[in-house]
Amino acid sequence: MITHTARRGRLILAAMTATAAIVVTVTAVTVSGRSLGHAFPQLHPAAAPANWRHLTLPNGTAVLSYPPSLRPISGDKVAVSAARLTARGAFQLYLNVTPRQGSEQLAQWPAFRLRLLRSDTAASARQVAAAQGVKFRGGTGSCVIDRYVTRIGGHHFQEIACLVVGRISASVIVAAAPAAAWTQARPLLLRAVAAYLIR
Amino acid sequence: MFTHARWAAGLALIAALAAGCGTGAGLYGTGAKPAATAHSAAPMPAATHHHHHHARPVHATVTTPPAPATAPAQTDNPIPQGNGGDQDADNNGGPSDGDGNI
Repeated sequence: MITHTARRGRLILAAMTATAAIVVTVTAVTVSGRSLGHAFPQLHPAAAPANWRHLTLPNGTAVLSYPPSLRPISGDKVAVSAARLTARGAFQLYLNVTPRQGSEQLAQWPAFRLRLLRSDTAASARQVAAAQGVKFRGGTGSCVIDRYVTRIGGHHFQEIACLVVGRISASVIVAAAPAAAWTQARPLLLRAVAAYLIR
Repeated sequence: MFTHARWAAGLALIAALAAGCGTGAGLYGTGAKPAATAHSAAPMPAATHHHHHHARPVHATVTTPPAPATAPAQTDNPIPQGNGGDQDADNNGGPSDGDGNI
């Protein structure tokens, strides 16, 4: 009877140990996945590929590079934009550069951007990742990756939006795609952001 | 024999627990993605170059979860949506540009 009880105790202890190990492992994997999903990607400033095209801000202070699959679209007079649209006119890829117009500051940029989205065109917006001290060609920036839902149409977009400060100017570059297509669009959008040139 | 049966039941419980945790992690990733049908309607790009800036107050708000497809009415936006005010793409359901809305 004593032997049986001791054996049963060892089995219970082993079961508890196994359960704890499994819970710890699953928790670690889950937490690790969330962390990876929120990590801001490395941006390596570099000139765009030779076949890319360029749009210079009307004030001459920055240059947006975009791949040939995009085409310029109209927007603010002071800004430049390029996009790839479906046959029905839906945005697949979107790039925009606008000179700094408001009270944007590097340190508060992520919060500023989200606040602006919510107060302007988005029914909701949430931050995915952010980074300070991002190196650009000719400047330094603060960037945020976020997701938002437009008030009109309920369209889900994901974007990387950076406030970049150069020697003589500051401007905002936005690279966006439908949230559902973000994974596919991300490399090209990051390439365009990395090629951004500011003076 | 009785002990072995309990041991097997314990293992089954552990396996069920692990499977439940795994499913939860998967749902986290899947749930974060919006429905593809949300993109069926085509937000139109801006039609003109006209743009009028408006002074706007900036309101501090807390982060909220993604909203349903039906957009709520907004009262603190001086740039009318639905191609009103300026005619940027972002006032027609398109992606937001980088203006500061001053």
